[in-house]
Amino acid sequence: MTMTSSKKLPNGTTGYKLQPEDFAQINRRNLAAFQVGWNYERMQHTGYLWIILPQLRKIYGDGTPELKQMAKLHCGPFFNTSNFLNTIITGIDLAIEEQDGVESSEAVASLKTGLMGPFASIGDSIFGSLLPTIFGALAANMAIQGNPLGILIWVIANIVVDWFRCKQTHIAYEQGMKLVTTMSDKLNAITDAAAVMGVFMVGALVATNVNITFAWVPDIGGVTVNFQNIFNMIMPRLVPACLVGFVYWLLGKKGMTSTKAIFIVLFLSIALGALGIIAKG
Amino acid sequence: MIQWWQILLLTLYAAYQILDELGPYTSAGQAVFAGLIAGLVMGDLKTGLHIGGMMQLTVLGVGTFGGASRIDANSGTVLATAFAVSQGMDPEQAIGLIAVPVAALMVYTDILGRFANTFWGHRCDADVEKMDWSAYNRHYLLGGLSWSLSRALPVFLALAFGGELVASITSALNGDLAWIGRGLTVAGGALPAVGFAILLRYLPVKKHTAFLLLGFAITALFGTAFANIGTLGGDVAALGIAAGLEGVPSGMYNSLSMLTIAVIGLAVSILYYNNNQARPAVAATAQDGDDDDEL
Repeated sequence: MTMTSSKKLPNGTTGYKLQPEDFAQINRRNLAAFQVGWNYERMQHTGYLWIILPQLRKIYGDGTPELKQMAKLHCGPFFNTSNFLNTIITGIDLAIEEQDGVESSEAVASLKTGLMGPFASIGDSIFGSLLPTIFGALAANMAIQGNPLGILIWVIANIVVDWFRCKQTHIAYEQGMKLVTTMSDKLNAITDAAAVMGVFMVGALVATNVNITFAWVPDIGGVTVNFQNIFNMIMPRLVPACLVGFVYWLLGKKGMTSTKAIFIVLFLSIALGALGIIAKG
Repeated sequence: MIQWWQILLLTLYAAYQILDELGPYTSAGQAVFAGLIAGLVMGDLKTGLHIGGMMQLTVLGVGTFGGASRIDANSGTVLATAFAVSQGMDPEQAIGLIAVPVAALMVYTDILGRFANTFWGHRCDADVEKMDWSAYNRHYLLGGLSWSLSRALPVFLALAFGGELVASITSALNGDLAWIGRGLTVAGGALPAVGFAILLRYLPVKKHTAFLLLGFAITALFGTAFANIGTLGGDVAALGIAAGLEGVPSGMYNSLSMLTIAVIGLAVSILYYNNNQARPAVAATAQDGDDDDEL
């Protein structure tokens, strides 16, 4: 192996300190393709290494046994976390590796396994569920009315999210584990407040975007009974609310999946619609 | 007929959208965006936006939690829009007939793509062993190909060869099978209910029931009021025209603005956050009532 100019420190590193362009490169790789290697077996294992590979090569020197050892440490085991928060782990990890080199291998391994779970659940609930609910619902609603502007709003919101994804790498590198403790309190409060808005919006959506009415007007002893009129008098949008309640209950059944629920609603609607019991409206 | 360049553009979009979802996440990998693209390519923006919007609502709560496969509403939207426009199918019926079944079927190509990547993962392991980093880069990025093909290939095949099938279904729905068509239209109105119910399963509904009721009630009232005002305005205009009056109102009434409803939601959420910050020790359940009073 050619040992390039690098002189080794006792901890196995070249003593390289990460520069601003290193963070830019990590963020570019992260945004472009952190998850393209995702697979069933070990999920993001190759991606975790890929986004920091150029930096590891600088820290340990190319072609060194230390580089191989650490690359295997990253690529080998299972890794899966939120793709919105993964660079926090990356930032903390690189700060430790830059400092302690191969001696940090145990600390790095436990850091990764320890943080990936909590970050996965925080990231999934904020970025995978709440933001898509609020902005997706808005975009969808406007789109149905023929207006593409809501999609633009969503794109802008996601660019802001991407900006945060880039910022956090360096912040995590600077602050290390301290960030995790200060962040967890704030994040809990924000998640909770965002959940309030999410729940509120779902309520609003049920009232506007489920469009079915009761069409059956039976003739009982010479008197026609217009159920939809009666429902409207009790409360507008009562039928949509009942349908959502029904699906909610359905989803709580054992063995029920979202795809099954979609098909049940599809077939029920076709049957009841064809019979003229419910109508769109 | 779908033109060859339309097939090409839609296939390229299908290949890109999953990569966007995995990486930059600009929302280009969302159903409503798929509707925008498909609508533009097919030359009928309104139909695309409508189908995309409906599909977005239907899968609103179906996230990728823990890497689980989810139904592919984007490819469903692309195909439903393409065929609705090219074969003259009713968009509402295309949702139930094309978009949802396609979306569900594509779960299997998604699984295939994720399996294929296991192969590349093993190649990467070997490259680390040899410290062959250019091979590592190559094998890593080839994972993107598995992802893209898992979307692009079925979309291309369906667009290229599905036209006749869809055409015969469409004519049947306009003829003997009109009753199914009616049912499908109803399904279009009902399907978003699934998306909302799934969301309610994920969100802390029990803790925040008050806000669910608030959002529903405010919107139900305003929605009905706005719709009635619109109808009334239209009637007045029609009466005026019938009576030969000059300067009758034009009947330009906007429907309920969801953005404004979202602003109310944001306000409630900010109040909740501030209350939480002010008294962190107080149990969250006790605060629900406070927020309602402030509103």
